Amino acid sequence: MSKKTTKVILHNAFIALLCIIWIIPIVWLVCTSFSAAPGMNTSTFFPNGWSAVHYKLLLTPDSVNQFPTWFMNTLKIACFTCIISTMLVVMVAYAMSVPKFKGRKAMMNFAVLLNLFPGMLSMIAVYFTLKTFGLTNSHIGLIFVYSASAGLGYLVAKGFFDTVPRSLCEAARIDGCNEAMIFWKIVMPTSKPIIVYTVISSFLVPWMDFVYAKIILNAGIAENYTVAVGLYRMLDKSLINTYFTQFCAGGVLVSIPISILFMIMQKFYVEGVTNGSVKG
Amino acid sequence: MNGILDGFSKIGSSVVGFFAAIGGFFGRFGQAMARGDIFVKLSLIWWGAGYIRRKQYIKALLMTLLEIAVVVFTLNFAMRYVPKFGTLGTVQAEQTFNIATMQTEWNDYDHSFMILLFSLFSFVVWAVAAFTCLQNVISCYQLQLDAEAGRHINNFVDDIRDYLDKKFHITLLSLPVLGIVVFTLIPILLLILVAFTNYDQQHMPPSALFTWVGFANFSTLFGGGITSTFGYAFVRILGWTLCWSFFATLSTYIGGILVSMLLNSKLTRATGLWRTMLVITIAVPQFVSLLLMRNFFANNGILNTICANIGLTQLLRNLGLITTSYIPFLTANGWAHATIILINIWVGIPYQMLIATGVLMNLPNDQVEAARIDGASPFQIFRNITMPYMLQVTGPALVTDFVKNFNNFNVIYLLTQNVFVTTNQLMANSQAREVDLLVTWLFTLTQDYYNYKMASAIGIMVFIVCAVFTMIGFNFMISGDKEGTYQ
Repeated sequence: MSKKTTKVILHNAFIALLCIIWIIPIVWLVCTSFSAAPGMNTSTFFPNGWSAVHYKLLLTPDSVNQFPTWFMNTLKIACFTCIISTMLVVMVAYAMSVPKFKGRKAMMNFAVLLNLFPGMLSMIAVYFTLKTFGLTNSHIGLIFVYSASAGLGYLVAKGFFDTVPRSLCEAARIDGCNEAMIFWKIVMPTSKPIIVYTVISSFLVPWMDFVYAKIILNAGIAENYTVAVGLYRMLDKSLINTYFTQFCAGGVLVSIPISILFMIMQKFYVEGVTNGSVKG
Repeated sequence: MNGILDGFSKIGSSVVGFFAAIGGFFGRFGQAMARGDIFVKLSLIWWGAGYIRRKQYIKALLMTLLEIAVVVFTLNFAMRYVPKFGTLGTVQAEQTFNIATMQTEWNDYDHSFMILLFSLFSFVVWAVAAFTCLQNVISCYQLQLDAEAGRHINNFVDDIRDYLDKKFHITLLSLPVLGIVVFTLIPILLLILVAFTNYDQQHMPPSALFTWVGFANFSTLFGGGITSTFGYAFVRILGWTLCWSFFATLSTYIGGILVSMLLNSKLTRATGLWRTMLVITIAVPQFVSLLLMRNFFANNGILNTICANIGLTQLLRNLGLITTSYIPFLTANGWAHATIILINIWVGIPYQMLIATGVLMNLPNDQVEAARIDGASPFQIFRNITMPYMLQVTGPALVTDFVKNFNNFNVIYLLTQNVFVTTNQLMANSQAREVDLLVTWLFTLTQDYYNYKMASAIGIMVFIVCAVFTMIGFNFMISGDKEGTYQ
């Protein structure tokens, strides 16, 4: 064996070791979800008996577990959040990038300042405001919480719009397009990667978030929960011994679609950020 | 140090710019009032006046309706709350038995929180109305100038067309800005105000009133008060929060760069496979992976069983590092801090790896080649070429990451809630735990103890710390502002 081959093998073995360490918890999650016992297995890494019965239990609702309902709730919230957030983000990003109006820099600095306040702090006040209007423990309230301030997260999309060649816009303007038409007919069609990225990332917010859902859905009505709040409840001290395996099964079921979307999003993010848009 | 000074001078100049803009605005308003005709002057009181003069009847009607709306809002809504803003209400809620209706009834009590919220809302509306009013006078004067110079005066259709062309940014921004004002700006202002009141469990509306207390909460936070331990807890938690942000940011940043360099190396086979394996760990939602980790590291969890089996637990006992029959990964002071940072490395490195991969793709390869030919070692290349390049490109992101970690609620809360119990009585007295960050402490204070006044004061402190660090990074951000480079 040449010296070079040995080096390649050692190098890859090291990376493999690293990746295995990283993947251990995920492997444990999947293995435990197929365990035959309902509680946590503390003596061996792999379960003592294998079975898919907890997936079946997970999909049949009982007093604690309403996974199918939670899943549909989260899906519903995610769809609305996705539409509203994407609209707001694209609007702000475009306005901050293309038309160079007065006060634009000031607005951007102000956005940076607003982002410095911990979101948790404003959440408490938002909770009271929503309560005044009877919107706590409702999905509409949660959709508002996720999407209303989405405009503040405009920076990635703005970075993309900045790369759209101005010559294209100028040409369109000479052809008699107004700003709105340039937005719809020139910039939007060339911005597919960043729009897909924005759509997916805002769709993922309700799936990934735990704390806002916990604050807003605080009445303990199980059929209102999102997946995150519901699964968190399963790990209560009194429930963990009956529901730990179901929690793992739920975790696997949620993670599969999310991982796929996440991978797609990464691809578009790289496409949008590193490749730029149009070669001008 | 230079960075800080630069940051301050930039903030300074933007503050100056802000006031200059305000000055300019009032200057234009003064000019309009001084040189405008009678209709321009009248439009200060009747918003539609200037437009009537220029035959813009629809616009005049709309402005008049808007003015009426503001007046109605003021009389019917704002006036019910704003006059009580100074005291936040004086009438305590009481139940009385009404002989006439034979029922127990509530008196017409004051609700301190409603007074605070709706007064603030009224102030925001009035500020916008005042701006509209002054801007309106300026616009009317501009119309007068246009008319005198014989320029084209817009009719209503022209105006609408403008909002799709020259003023398209206003059309685009109005809805997002409304969302941000209602769901971010007003809540932040509200909580800033709450920090100066005594809103807590003993003063919960509607059954009790709360009122202004000035800086009392801040003096409690900085160690004032006789029985209060908030000062003690605040210093410790701030220290741990800073320490955590520093280590969490640095470890994942350097780790991410190293891992991405490993993967990008020419020796690596099956790069895509390795990268997918790493990225899968962040694609799983954090509440799943972190809650799993917490059971993985539990006192009676699987990792402790393994450690006991291989004799590690016994070894640590013999060394005197632990006194329990298990390793208290997440339950003992010190151990928990280390474990949390370790788990965060697991969470954070794949993220940083993705970012670093993108940046390293653009690494000037000729420099690396030249250095290699000159006989530089891989470490020298890393130190003198890769790192400076990475720092230059991702410097601002490093600052943002620091602030994000400072407010990293998920990792701490999901790993330690109901698991870590403090044994320090002084900490427990202020509902704090050694592993809490300022944000998780703030969350516990509001959710479990309804101590809104202290939570708000802590929130303001968080903002100040984050602002200082961002100011340092501001310098990087502006110099790293590549807007327009690619156009």
